[in-house]
Amino acid sequence: MENEIEVRDLTKYYGNLLAVNHINFVVRRGEIFGLLGPNGAGKTTTIRMICGMLRASDGIAIVAGFDVNQKPQEVKRRIGLVPDISNLFGELSARVNLDFAGKLYGLDKKTRRERIDQVLELFQLKDRQNDLVKYYSKGMHRRLTIAAALIHQPEILVMDEPTSGLDAQTARLVREIILDLNKEGRTILLTTHQIDEADRLTHRVGIIDRGSVIALDTPEQLKNRTEGTRALEIKILGGVDQQKWIPIMKEAENVDKVFLTEGKVRILSKDLSQIIPAVVSLVDRNGGKVESISVAQPTLEDAFINLTGKSIREESLSKEAYVKSRLSRSGLR
Amino acid sequence: MKPLSALMDSIWIAENDLRQSFKSVRHVVWSLLFPVFMMFTFSFRYGAVGPDIEFINFLIPGIVGMTAMFGSINETMSIVWDKSLGVFDRILAAPVSSTSIIVGKTMAGATMGVISALVLLLIGRALFGVSFVNIWAVFLIVLLASFSFTGIGTIISGLASEPREAMMLSNLLRFPMMFLGGVFFPIDAMPSPLPYVAKALPLTYATDALRAIQAGGTVAVVLDGVALLAYTAGTMILGSQVLMRIMTR
Repeated sequence: MENEIEVRDLTKYYGNLLAVNHINFVVRRGEIFGLLGPNGAGKTTTIRMICGMLRASDGIAIVAGFDVNQKPQEVKRRIGLVPDISNLFGELSARVNLDFAGKLYGLDKKTRRERIDQVLELFQLKDRQNDLVKYYSKGMHRRLTIAAALIHQPEILVMDEPTSGLDAQTARLVREIILDLNKEGRTILLTTHQIDEADRLTHRVGIIDRGSVIALDTPEQLKNRTEGTRALEIKILGGVDQQKWIPIMKEAENVDKVFLTEGKVRILSKDLSQIIPAVVSLVDRNGGKVESISVAQPTLEDAFINLTGKSIREESLSKEAYVKSRLSRSGLR
Repeated sequence: MKPLSALMDSIWIAENDLRQSFKSVRHVVWSLLFPVFMMFTFSFRYGAVGPDIEFINFLIPGIVGMTAMFGSINETMSIVWDKSLGVFDRILAAPVSSTSIIVGKTMAGATMGVISALVLLLIGRALFGVSFVNIWAVFLIVLLASFSFTGIGTIISGLASEPREAMMLSNLLRFPMMFLGGVFFPIDAMPSPLPYVAKALPLTYATDALRAIQAGGTVAVVLDGVALLAYTAGTMILGSQVLMRIMTR
């Protein structure tokens, strides 16, 4: 399979801050490749360099055979970028927004008209095409942003956190759109901090942490890298707040990692037979009641924890807490 | 990239900016209300009963120059809003050269400056009967002035990291320029060293040239025009450098 994107030793410094640290990966033609990592891991910086919007401090990115540093315009012509935040002009209608996108890619009037009709139809926005975009719902915004990125029919679609901030129904719709676009033959590079999304959507995934790609494989192969570690999921009723079960469970012997997932406490250990009685006893002693307990298959999140030593949720939450504390100190919240 | 295609990119960017500005009727009305309000306020001189026609003839060219300044700088500052809302990224992600982006933004700024100034001119004419002998000369001076103000707006947009900072920076330049640029008071009547400060401002040359056109002078218009041309070149080169820096980080 031919490589559509090749990243070699790509590096980005912001002043003294090393945002992306000599990363290497390839995206093969026709695949969905994911960059999975917590907020601030360097995902967006990486794709901005690949799209020719940010100059790399070192290393190269080759897209569709063109070096981004040498031929940024050729690269941009072949990429459709869907940023994490909708970048549409709110004071203009969907049709005018799409027309402007077409103009920026040098499409003539007739082609623009045809393509606009096509994407409006595809994304079910035709009946609202003349409404100002500022009156659109979040989901419509997202669909229109993807439509604008497809107006020049790019070979490669680069999507930054495609479902971030969307409700479950819209997120599902966007995921279906991504799979359909890939079926049509488009290569898709996406970033996400949602493990579930990377697991469900991508053919291969690169785990990025603190500016470095620390593992790259198919989601299945990454899950197999848990090296004998198995997972135990416990649903606990009553007692202390769910979050507080984490330090309590860590008291048990042979527990490698504890975190919350979908309302359950998930414990990673190489020796489940020994820890099951210990954790049940801990729950009991702390006033809780085990509602259900099950041994689970290793997930991509388990692999992430195994590789990075921390949960992607913890990382995102700690950043969120940091931002909230800064906002509260500055009097903005 | 072919020159015609690069020019078309600039035109699309300018058209899109202006389309957004004119789409919001409130935006247009508010931006014109300020100079109209200033025109009315200053048309009454202390001690005079009713509008002072002689002073209005002095005032209107200044207000026209000032309106070009506000129109151009405001329009160019859309770059900062575009950056903060992420819409600037959409242009950066497209196969459009940095030069085309700068030229497009400049075209939008200068066009807005010219349109705002000419509308004020019409209002001045309708309300106070002030007319200019040579409308083409007025157009040329307003165009040159608008380009130099657009250059200033581009510098501000490149330096400011967010809209609030841009507003503060632009007010820091616009308001002193408005009061020192000879719009409301003759520069010769200013105490020293203010006339020297005034001579460093492009608005001074714009108001002086517009008054000279009204008075039928030619030499002063040409000299002021040359000064504005120099300002245009200087601010636009500097503005392009600053903007280029943020686009090619």
